[in-house]
Amino acid sequence: MRKFIINVNGNSYEVEVEEVGAPGAPVPTAAPKAAPAPKAAPKAAPAAKAAPPAGAANVTAPMPGNIVSVKVNVGDTVKSGDVLCVLEAMKMENEIMAPKDGKVVAVSVSQGSTVSTGDVLVSLG
Amino acid sequence: MGKLDDLQQKRLTIEQGGGADKIKKQHDSGKKTARERLAMLFDEDSFVEIDAFVTHRSNEFNMPNTVAPGEGVVTGYGTVDGRLVYAYAQDFTVIGGSLGEMHAAKICKVMDMAMKMGAPIVGINDSGGARIQEGIDALKGFGDIFYRNTLASGVIPQISIILGPCAGGAVYSPAICDFIYMVDKTSQMFITGPSVVKSVTGEDVTFEELGGANTHATQSGVAGVMCQNEEECFAQVKNLLSYLPANNLEMSPVYDCEDDLNRLSETLTTIVPEDANKAYDMKNVIKEVVDNGEFVEIFENYAKNIITGFARMNGATIGIIANQPKFMAGSLDCDSSDKGARFVRFCDGFNIPLVTFTDVPGYLPGVTQEHNGIIRHGAKLLYAFSEATVPKINVIVRKAYGGAYIAMNSKHLGADMVFAWPSAEIAVMGPDGAANIIFKKDIANAADPISTRAEKIQEYTEKFANPYVAASRGYVDDVIEPDSTRPRIISALEMLMSKRETRPSKKHGNIPL
Repeated sequence: MRKFIINVNGNSYEVEVEEVGAPGAPVPTAAPKAAPAPKAAPKAAPAAKAAPPAGAANVTAPMPGNIVSVKVNVGDTVKSGDVLCVLEAMKMENEIMAPKDGKVVAVSVSQGSTVSTGDVLVSLG
Repeated sequence: MGKLDDLQQKRLTIEQGGGADKIKKQHDSGKKTARERLAMLFDEDSFVEIDAFVTHRSNEFNMPNTVAPGEGVVTGYGTVDGRLVYAYAQDFTVIGGSLGEMHAAKICKVMDMAMKMGAPIVGINDSGGARIQEGIDALKGFGDIFYRNTLASGVIPQISIILGPCAGGAVYSPAICDFIYMVDKTSQMFITGPSVVKSVTGEDVTFEELGGANTHATQSGVAGVMCQNEEECFAQVKNLLSYLPANNLEMSPVYDCEDDLNRLSETLTTIVPEDANKAYDMKNVIKEVVDNGEFVEIFENYAKNIITGFARMNGATIGIIANQPKFMAGSLDCDSSDKGARFVRFCDGFNIPLVTFTDVPGYLPGVTQEHNGIIRHGAKLLYAFSEATVPKINVIVRKAYGGAYIAMNSKHLGADMVFAWPSAEIAVMGPDGAANIIFKKDIANAADPISTRAEKIQEYTEKFANPYVAASRGYVDDVIEPDSTRPRIISALEMLMSKRETRPSKKHGNIPL
């Protein structure tokens, strides 16, 4: 068991860290009131994007930005003009709309994803 | 047989084009014949044909035995809504509408007439391309047409309607024209067809994907308008013509305005969302302001982050250019700059006042944009607005930041009247970025940088993200209530009717192409 003091945005947090599974690790005694562990590290990069299904119409990012929400799931039926996801870019929440009627066959992004121009967001079958 | 019968017989043969079989084939493929198309374009019985008796004079290959009634193109003039218009329609039933020396000569003759009389010309394209048997004489024919297209550019409105194949060199006549209309699943335009593409680059592509109406209306920016069928297409072309003057020395026709000139629009008061990060549809603003909500959009599905089209105010034509926050945040990129600039230049060339609605966060950053030449393309919009001497009115609805503020018909580029809504944010850059630069040290040295930064952003927003700084310098002529936008624009247009502005005389400028 090791103890750290971590400063985040001017707030000080006392954090105890235990290495799990290490041989001969001491059984932790009742830990003192655990400080709320701040989310220090950004969350792991999303898994490598699956190749969009062949033959599907890919809806791509028109400009670089962040996905703030995804409005559809695989299997959903969408109509032309339905909002697929919201891309925050140029200080604007841009609604990315379905270019045609179809069924969602793949969703390549999730909330928080960073995308570049041309990245596939959603594939429609 | 008398001479009169002989004449009538000859004329009848010519009017049959390629004959009943070929006409049936044309109809079976869902297409109209050249004469049916001209009948759709012109007022009933107004079309007058010229050069019906022209024949080719090629002696090569099988050409001496090939009869080509009308030389594969019907040319003439007539009226559209009572106004003189010239037209030619290629006849696909006559050797595939192929273009030979005399076919081109017929087209050139009506083009010359259209220019001399100062009336619009409509070209209906449906042709297999150059008549190979005529060799270089066919190429000469194309060249003659391109040359006239260029001379006529900015003198008379030139409209091309593609109603079949238009391939190879043939595409460049429409390309020089002002507007290209295409019909879904009927029209095709490309430099080389799918088979050549396959043999040269190995790419597999269908005719539709390569050069169909949808491709050109959404991706290439070649076709200004895509229609679902030929009837709709001609109706739209006629509607467009009603907005245009006959030539560069005339004004557009003015119609009786049934819409109240002083109509206030409550909708406009609430149309812009409180949250600057939220989008809205700029087309709703346009439709609220113009006569009867009628707006003829050009390039509706290409570079949708800028809106271009014609409308009327107090019955007279105006050209509208507006940023569309709903697409790509309304930012200016390479394509939207090209689209906007070309439209501005058309309007300026034909005495059509410009009205812009500005909500632009800036030029779009990014490696793709820089490498595609946003500097060069973005410059076109600045150039076009600066060059334009027609009345220029700008309504700043919300954002107007940085270089894009300047480009969008600003006072500095010669706008005659700049109005701003109270929601306008006119500044050198957005509050976030500006605060980071101006207050860099304050933020870095603060005990709590995060909240200091937020405070500074707030400070900047209150100080600069509004219309009053620009208004205090006179860069904005007036800050107006959104609901009064229509009467204010109409009054400004009326005031500007006598506008005269002279520029240094020169051969022509050098717009960054």
